[in-house]
Amino acid sequence: MFTAVEIEALRLSLQVALVAVAGSLPLAIAVAWLLARHEFFGKTLLDAVVHLPLVLPPVVIGYFLLVLFGTQGPIGGWLHETLGVRLIFTRWGAALAAAVMSFPLVVRAIRLALEAVDRGLESAARTLGASRLDVFFSVTLPLMLPGIVSGGIVAFAAALGDFGATITFVGNVQGETQTLSLAIYSLTQTPDGDAAALRLVLIALALAIGALFASELAARRVRRYIGRA
Amino acid sequence: MQRSTFVRALAAACLLPLGSRVRAASDELTVFAAASLQTALEAIARRYREHSGRGVRFSFAASSMLARQIEQGAPAAIFASADEQWMDYLQERGLIVQGTRLSLLGNRLVLVVPAARALSVDLQPGFDFAAVLGAEGRWVTGDPSAVPVGRYAQQALSALGAWRFAQTRLVRAENVRVALALVERGEAAAGVVYETDAAASTRVRVAGVFPADSHAPISYPFAVVARHDSAAARDFLRFVAGAEARALWRGHGFSVR
Repeated sequence: MFTAVEIEALRLSLQVALVAVAGSLPLAIAVAWLLARHEFFGKTLLDAVVHLPLVLPPVVIGYFLLVLFGTQGPIGGWLHETLGVRLIFTRWGAALAAAVMSFPLVVRAIRLALEAVDRGLESAARTLGASRLDVFFSVTLPLMLPGIVSGGIVAFAAALGDFGATITFVGNVQGETQTLSLAIYSLTQTPDGDAAALRLVLIALALAIGALFASELAARRVRRYIGRA
Repeated sequence: MQRSTFVRALAAACLLPLGSRVRAASDELTVFAAASLQTALEAIARRYREHSGRGVRFSFAASSMLARQIEQGAPAAIFASADEQWMDYLQERGLIVQGTRLSLLGNRLVLVVPAARALSVDLQPGFDFAAVLGAEGRWVTGDPSAVPVGRYAQQALSALGAWRFAQTRLVRAENVRVALALVERGEAAAGVVYETDAAASTRVRVAGVFPADSHAPISYPFAVVARHDSAAARDFLRFVAGAEARALWRGHGFSVR
């Protein structure tokens, strides 16, 4: 039913989105923590920068990434020369683009969850002698888990669908950066590509709906688990 | 109270320029043209405006993208394609005015590298493309499954026996100007573009010209789109093929039939 190129695109999309979310989750938790719990100089600026991918045209984000992380860019050049890591035209670059684009979604979800955590429980744990780190891992983190899970899944779906930043930064390389969105884009220009494009559109639709459904389900499950514990 | 006044003022401010723009748009001609024509066609449109007082709006993209958009009813009055195939595609579907179709321009296919690389390649059968790209370099051109420059590139590299290797290092760009930009930035080690694109950039160097018999002749057909046929559209098309425009086309490096 599906051609090798289509299956490759699907596999690649899942891989890229998974790496993007897994890689950005720890940083997202840290940033959400800073924004929810701390007052510091430049907080508004950090908040704005985190949300930029949500309000800027994706092609602008892609352009930033190209200029900064291309092999000729300051960061990309350093990575390439010292570590031999090349992001442009590779799946790792695609994952970076997807991670940047979906980052604000994860941060927002985690921040909301974090703000809803009852700080009385944390204080109680502290008075019972738990260290700050212990409190975070055994009280705060489990309580904000629903936010992390649902934010992660929504970000996963968004990462699956990124187009503008990806094509601007890592191009359209079959089997390396040609994700589902890019494959659909290529097919819309191909004569008689409509049937194949439609098949991929249906896959994208199924993945998106599946992710939203899973997010809801997971959040409910985790909430029930915490309620019982 | 204050807020609702503010909102109303904001709404009015948003709507005002919109109204005037829609009016201006209705008497402007819309031309869908292959990305490689951008520099030259814009210059010609400026000249046309001086003569006729009429403005022209453009949408520059890959011919494949434009042909598909016209098929879906995009409001283009004129289509200029970078290959005959995409014009055939619209003609088969009865979407262009056949009598107006005119293959006006020709071009050459070249291999470009970033300007900093002093490289010259003799593009003959069996040439070493791997040496041009180095250990991990990639090359870029339009998507060969649809975009004209990519189709020409695939034909040429196949004829020279380099396609099998080239395929594994290919970055598929949306159109030829995107491909050019990636070579300009030095992110792609090489690119296959038209000679006129290479000439329009100071940041790339032509490393070699593909032999004309290695690919289908590069030909730019122009035609009036049937759904938006008008005297104004035909007038602009006449100007584009006229003596004054011919000089401009040649000045930008196109060969004129």
